[in-house]
Amino acid sequence: MRPATALLITALAASALTACSIVKPVDATKARASRGPIAIWYSNNPQEVQWGNQVVKSWNAAHPGEKASGQQIPTGKTSEAVIQASVIAGTEPCLIYNTSPASVPSFQAIGGLVALDQFPGGRQYIEQRSGSQADQYRSPDGKFYQLPWKSNPVMIFYNKKLFTKAGLDPNHPKLASYADFLATAKRVVSTHAARFAIYPAPSSEFFQSWYDFYSMYAAQSGGVQLIKNGKATFDDAAGRGVANFWRQIYADGLAGKETYSGDPFADGVAAMAIVGPWAIASYQGKVGWGLAPVPTSNGQPSNHTFSDAKNVAMYASCTHRETAWDFLKFSTSQDQDGKFLQATGQMPMRTGVVTTYASYFAKNPAYKTFAKLADGVVEVPNVPGSVRIWQTFRDAWSKSVIFADGSVDATLAATAQSIDQLLVKK
Amino acid sequence: MTAVRTEQVHVDEAEPDADANARPVRAPAWRYVLLGIGAIVFLFPFYYMIIGSFAKRSDGSLKGLIPGALGLTLHNYASINAAIDLPRSLLNSLIFTVGVLIGTLFFGTVAGYALARLNFRGRGLVFASMLLLQTVPFQLLIIPIYVLVARNYGLSDSYLGMIAPFAINSTAVFVFRQYFLQLPKELFEAARIDGASEWRVLWSVAVPMVRPALLTGALLTFIGPWNEFLWPFLITKKQDLQPLAVSLSNYITTASSLAHNPFGTILAGACVLAAPAVLLFVVFQRKFVSSNIGSGVKG
Amino acid sequence: MTTADVTAATTADPMAAGAGVDDPLPRNHRRIFGRHPIGMLFVAPYALFIAVLFAYPLGLAVYMSFHRYIFTAPGVGIARPFVGLQNYRDALGDDAVRRSFLNILIFLVINVPLTVVLSLALASALNSKLRGRSFFRTAYYVPYVTASVAVVGVWLFLFNGSGLVNRVLGSLAPSPSWLINSHWAMPSIAGFVTWKQLGFFILLYLAALQNVPKELYESSSVDGATAWQQFRAVTIPGVRHATSLVTLLAVITGANLFTEPYLLTGGGGPNGASASPVLLMYQFGIEQNRPDVAAAIGVVLVLGVLVLAGIQRLLDRG
Repeated sequence: MRPATALLITALAASALTACSIVKPVDATKARASRGPIAIWYSNNPQEVQWGNQVVKSWNAAHPGEKASGQQIPTGKTSEAVIQASVIAGTEPCLIYNTSPASVPSFQAIGGLVALDQFPGGRQYIEQRSGSQADQYRSPDGKFYQLPWKSNPVMIFYNKKLFTKAGLDPNHPKLASYADFLATAKRVVSTHAARFAIYPAPSSEFFQSWYDFYSMYAAQSGGVQLIKNGKATFDDAAGRGVANFWRQIYADGLAGKETYSGDPFADGVAAMAIVGPWAIASYQGKVGWGLAPVPTSNGQPSNHTFSDAKNVAMYASCTHRETAWDFLKFSTSQDQDGKFLQATGQMPMRTGVVTTYASYFAKNPAYKTFAKLADGVVEVPNVPGSVRIWQTFRDAWSKSVIFADGSVDATLAATAQSIDQLLVKK
Repeated sequence: MTAVRTEQVHVDEAEPDADANARPVRAPAWRYVLLGIGAIVFLFPFYYMIIGSFAKRSDGSLKGLIPGALGLTLHNYASINAAIDLPRSLLNSLIFTVGVLIGTLFFGTVAGYALARLNFRGRGLVFASMLLLQTVPFQLLIIPIYVLVARNYGLSDSYLGMIAPFAINSTAVFVFRQYFLQLPKELFEAARIDGASEWRVLWSVAVPMVRPALLTGALLTFIGPWNEFLWPFLITKKQDLQPLAVSLSNYITTASSLAHNPFGTILAGACVLAAPAVLLFVVFQRKFVSSNIGSGVKG
Repeated sequence: MTTADVTAATTADPMAAGAGVDDPLPRNHRRIFGRHPIGMLFVAPYALFIAVLFAYPLGLAVYMSFHRYIFTAPGVGIARPFVGLQNYRDALGDDAVRRSFLNILIFLVINVPLTVVLSLALASALNSKLRGRSFFRTAYYVPYVTASVAVVGVWLFLFNGSGLVNRVLGSLAPSPSWLINSHWAMPSIAGFVTWKQLGFFILLYLAALQNVPKELYESSSVDGATAWQQFRAVTIPGVRHATSLVTLLAVITGANLFTEPYLLTGGGGPNGASASPVLLMYQFGIEQNRPDVAAAIGVVLVLGVLVLAGIQRLLDRG
């Protein structure tokens, strides 16, 4: 027997072992109207876990034959990889309460998502609950592959104690215009009140630009997304303004360029942070914080910022989709949205949040600021290949803004061009 | 006659201090200096790690070098235990590692013996594949393997799925083969003439002669799964199945800022992860002597 | 059975080791499956393991590198056309990818010589009757057996902008600090990996040193050679084989670097100055669902390693 034959036999054995598949694709028509037990995932944020457990328990009490089981998954830079890996293996659950809008196009492209329009009254439910905000979450084919669930409008947090130490007014800080912001930041650092004025993560994950760049771009441009009508929009006055602002901050040493393990604002290393209400839990007891909207170039107040939304999607391996849809509606009812707001302080993407939950905001006036912004939040554009587009942006940002390599304006122009080409290719 | 031969083979197990080939003793001052500096450089981060895990606060100052200067507490250990359930994670690491050890020590020994002492068609091919395997990075294969294990075999969220890609450690097979090659052929001739089957020859004659190899192979094989975090991370979603390396890695990237002393908590987790591996080596290091690894050098 | 026989058996080409293998039948008998067909049974589980969990994924990876390939949910069919060398062009045309190969070269240039020199030096120092010999040996391979995940946290803290190392160095500290400095990022990683792996290589050298015949040292010291001359004339040539093994293993480990860039510089470092090809394979393959380009990078990397190994083999023989 020649080596070739030995190879052939081993190859045949190997292919026999690799061809069979235990996980089979789900019959969509059968699953659509089927009822039965379902599995859901949510993030491992402790408050969300608490709410998630409560929702599952209430549902199970009322629907003993269609029990839901909840599981937390790790969040952070790895959550997209985790979900995508599960989709490919066919082991993802029916609903994931931590679906990033930026991932929806790619999950959709690989056949991992279920269009919610197919459920009777599906589209209306979403449009009625979220109002005009729902439009940002429609996919290019006009359908909804995600339900807009909650947002974390990004604002500036500042440390009142450190501001006092720097000789600034802790209740009326001057942070509205770029010039004012820079002056305040310089004051904080030069008086050694804190080592850095502000410290957004400088690392190159594709989503980091959402906080430093995109929130300010949304404010400055009046609510324009990164991509409009198939073209990149940020190579304009607003985008250049934001990029040059940050370049100045890094050049003057007002922000850190190294990855900081932990939270620099909570540790008092930075006097400000640019983040949403979910972070409040980690500041409890460590920082006495105040809020300000993200700066605009001339200080004009804007009611736009980045949404930092996380949504719910229904996934293709779900075999009991009717139950999943009912559970989804149950968990996003007015009552449950209120419980969520109560537990986490994050804004349900529901019209009229401020009035519907007036009693909550009366008790927690700080959160009202976030709620007022909730109607004007800007989402990442729902286009194919969005992760790659944001990665391209982030790499260019890192090079020219953080590490001052090359002119900001030229880099923005070149990046806009590359992104336009990426859009055409898809 | 046979008694004389077995004695010669046992030379390998002798204590290194009695090794006849060691350099003659000279004024060893420069050796101690060099080794001492080396030891300090090597162990310093671990010293810092242990001190830091008991510290109440962490900053980058020189005070951090003095045990107790920044406060002494067990709170960091309590904190990491609350976050990632240390006993359960340790148990998962153990099950994963022991599974790989069993696979390697059983199937790997048999394969190493066959590659060394038996002549059969396809032997060269298997040996060449084993060498090639060492040069290919796991990340090149990770997605196809993931699809295979999770989708085709439905083994996601299971110990078997975790163990599968690591089931037989090729480096260990290489080491076993080297050891079996060193055994004198008369040993086997004698056993075969006595009518023993190959299986008996392997387990009753060959294996007892290469116990140091088995230990070496086991120790080498232990490091991989114990410290692996990428594969178990991909293949498991349930937190109560994740080994400690994965839980710690997740904790570092996501939840650490919520702790009172985030850095100290991470260090406490790191100490727990490192301790069993280090202890095992310290305990068995007399057996893990250089002459064992040396067999790989000659090939 | 003398020592010479044992040495001969182990230094011979492994493929030809069959010459020394026991054979129950006279040599002129021809066998279809070889003299010990039961060997196939013994090796079957391992062979199957390699075939299914190594050969098949490798084959699929190579296949992917020549097609437009993405992974989909089960049962979803999409077109996967053959695209020739397009993925390779995309990969090698990407600045980040080219930079990552350059980074690995920087890494190898620092790590490999440093590893060889340090491990030989420390192994020589260890190779005598010393008090505390076990302690020293243990000290050197403690980093090797510890998970990178565990140790990276300490290093990040030590080499932070305001960490211990910079405080000790004072004004000599590089600015920006080590891991965010595009000139120092990769060398910092090279230092870390050298430190971590050295224990294993020290053991390899220790073994080789113990096989250098004592008589050579004795005769050269009778001739009046100093310690340094003995080292150059006896030790270094005597451990030639170990040196080539250490070099080869260091090259393979360095080329396949993933964990350290991933953990120490969170995905590529300043300007991609510490990204490694395998890290980019992870990003392309798992984060961006472009396993076809990732596979192309991987194939190029493996070919590069094989070429380096081949060159080293030739130099060794010559």
